[in-house]
Amino acid sequence: MGLNQTGAQEQQTARRSANLAVKIGKIEMKNPVTVASGTFGFGQEMAEFYDLSRLGAIFVKGTSLHPWPGNEYPRTVETPSGMLNAIGLQNDGVDVFVEEKLPFLRRFDVPVIVNVVGHTVEEYTEVVSRLDGVEGVHGIEINISCPNVKEGCLVFGTTARGTAEVVRAVRKRTNLTLITKLSPNVGNIVEIAQAAIDAGSDALSLINTLLGTAIDPWTRRFRLANKTGGLSGPAIKPVALRMVWEVAKAVDVPIIGMGGIMTALDAIEFLLAGARAVSVGTTNFVNPMAPIEIIDGITDYLHSMDIADVNEIVGTVS
Amino acid sequence: MKDIHVCRIIGQSEVAPRIVRALLKGPKIAREAQPGQFVNVQVGKTTDPLLRRPFSVHAAYPDEGVYSILYAVRGRGTTLLSEMRPGDELSVIGPLGTPFDLGESSDSRHILVAGGCGAAPLHFLCDALCRKWGCDNVTVLAGAQSKDAVVCEAEFRANGVNVIVSTDDGSHGFHGLATQLLETHLSKCISQTPGSHVRVYSCGPHMMLKQVAQICREAGVARCQVSLETVMACGVGVCLGCVQKVRGDSGTSYKRVCVDGPVFDAEEIVWD
Ligand SMILES: Cc1cc2nc3c(=O)[nH]c(=O)nc-3n(C[C@H](O)[C@H](O)[C@H](O)COP(=O)(O)OP(=O)(O)OC[C@H]3O[C@@H](n4cnc5c(N)ncnc54)[C@H](O)[C@@H]3O)c2cc1C
Ligand SMILES: Cc1cc2nc3c(=O)[nH]c(=O)nc-3n(C[C@H](O)[C@H](O)[C@H](O)COP(=O)(O)O)c2cc1C
Ligand code: FES
Repeated sequence: MGLNQTGAQEQQTARRSANLAVKIGKIEMKNPVTVASGTFGFGQEMAEFYDLSRLGAIFVKGTSLHPWPGNEYPRTVETPSGMLNAIGLQNDGVDVFVEEKLPFLRRFDVPVIVNVVGHTVEEYTEVVSRLDGVEGVHGIEINISCPNVKEGCLVFGTTARGTAEVVRAVRKRTNLTLITKLSPNVGNIVEIAQAAIDAGSDALSLINTLLGTAIDPWTRRFRLANKTGGLSGPAIKPVALRMVWEVAKAVDVPIIGMGGIMTALDAIEFLLAGARAVSVGTTNFVNPMAPIEIIDGITDYLHSMDIADVNEIVGTVS
Repeated sequence: MKDIHVCRIIGQSEVAPRIVRALLKGPKIAREAQPGQFVNVQVGKTTDPLLRRPFSVHAAYPDEGVYSILYAVRGRGTTLLSEMRPGDELSVIGPLGTPFDLGESSDSRHILVAGGCGAAPLHFLCDALCRKWGCDNVTVLAGAQSKDAVVCEAEFRANGVNVIVSTDDGSHGFHGLATQLLETHLSKCISQTPGSHVRVYSCGPHMMLKQVAQICREAGVARCQVSLETVMACGVGVCLGCVQKVRGDSGTSYKRVCVDGPVFDAEEIVWD
């Protein structure tokens, strides 16, 4: 009993003493644990589980200029240790986001980063113009990597030129922290990363989902209405980790790493590979409390390794 | 606030071939659940299967802090669940979703149309309707493939409601479909009560629900509510995976079955 109490106290002291704060561009995060776009809506539903102010940052659902209806159903299918999704970026558009979704998020002490999508360069820049200077928007994540939409989006993200074109145009419209979200469905991710940075991106996030499909042998049909979808969840973690490491070696800007993170130790792996922060995605569906457990777990890890600041371990894998 | 509950399995029993009733300890869920709502259950201990499985609340006993689900053993997840033993613990999120609307008028006649395992939420609904409006006003039409696949018949009867069973192969009750029962029953019902006093509630295969909706529209019933099942990833409204196409003032759009449903007004649905 006495021993346990001391143990608990020590743990609490350690949790308070280790520094978890990280910086992504101009955004100060109280810890490196964020939630991934498209897996957290606009925060309202998850706020039923915990205080959103505990998070390092929130990446909200992909937002476009006009409302997008999204793809036909079925949109998701479970796969071994993962899932495929082809939501098709269903969203009500940037104006509805600003008027109806953002006021709720402003109640919390947490940076909000808006994931922006478009069919054309002009759509990207118009969305960003409408977000620039709006109270409660702390950063822009340019999504040029969504595999489930026919035009735009991934088309830009698969070439260095397309990436540079979108990022450069968006950069001209805002001084907000710009994060470019990279697709793993490319030949050379480092080249794309470099192009994004040269065009003015302050940070990178990776990876988006891996293109895949699933077939029902009995009906002989695709399981997704869209035929193909994006693979996420623990199944993709090794690929994501390798890509974060490759990009981190080559660039100087901060990286938000994601792909299959379920536990604090998964998150630590990404930090060691070179990510400054991490994002929890599909795991939110399984365990809504995961981001909070991961924050606490990172603190416990730092304490057990006798490390005072989370920034010390970033990119230290050997 | 929502919680992730740890629910102990009190018991599981096979009520029909490959249909299992699980009794779970969960005081908050038993207290708060309303008919039509569901729980999202983690069926595995590892990352495969990864996602939770949704099941309607089949009965709630708030005084005992216990509730039940009734599920068909279909694939990996439900097989794993059926292998669990009393005392095993499950991670459960719920109650989730929008419940059935039980109506405002004591003059209403309530007709429940169940197809197979669709009886699960309707059993809970039947209890609530009986308590609110009295059992005399409630009729259950339950369809199944064959005699041994009929579920909940005894439980419905124990409530004292009027129960009519149909089987596809005629091995028990009416030889035919639950939708045929509905047509017959509705015409009888409407000859006694105006259609505007009849309320229909249904859960079962998608094709059946579509027919139920059409029959109700033609008969001019006051309201037809259907409980839908779509494949869910999150169950709490954040992934936009579980959608149903609906009709609104400004054309069609997709609604989330997990929060905007699973219970919908049949007239809202764009049936395909
Ligand atoms: C709100 C809601 C309430 C439900 N209530 C009940 C209930 O009370 N009793 C019951 O037996 N079942 C219910 N279901 C369906 C149940 O969730 C699925 O049968 C279950 O998830 C299948 O899991 P599995 O791993 O065994 O099957 P899998 O191996 O995942 O799949 C087997 C088959 O089931 C289909 N399936 C998978 N998930 C769903 C789903 N969510 N809805 C419909 N079909 C699915 C698959 O397409 C496949 O054909 C409900 C579903 C929803 C959305
Ligand atoms: C259902 C779903 C919807 C998603 N929507 C978006 C989106 O709108 N914009 C985006 O940039 N990424 C989107 N993603 C990708 C995630 O943000 C993340 O990059 C990816 O899922 C990998 O992380 P995970 O394995 O932890 O989920 C989505 C993923 C899922 C599963
Ligand atoms: S299951 Fe995710 S929104 Fe409904």
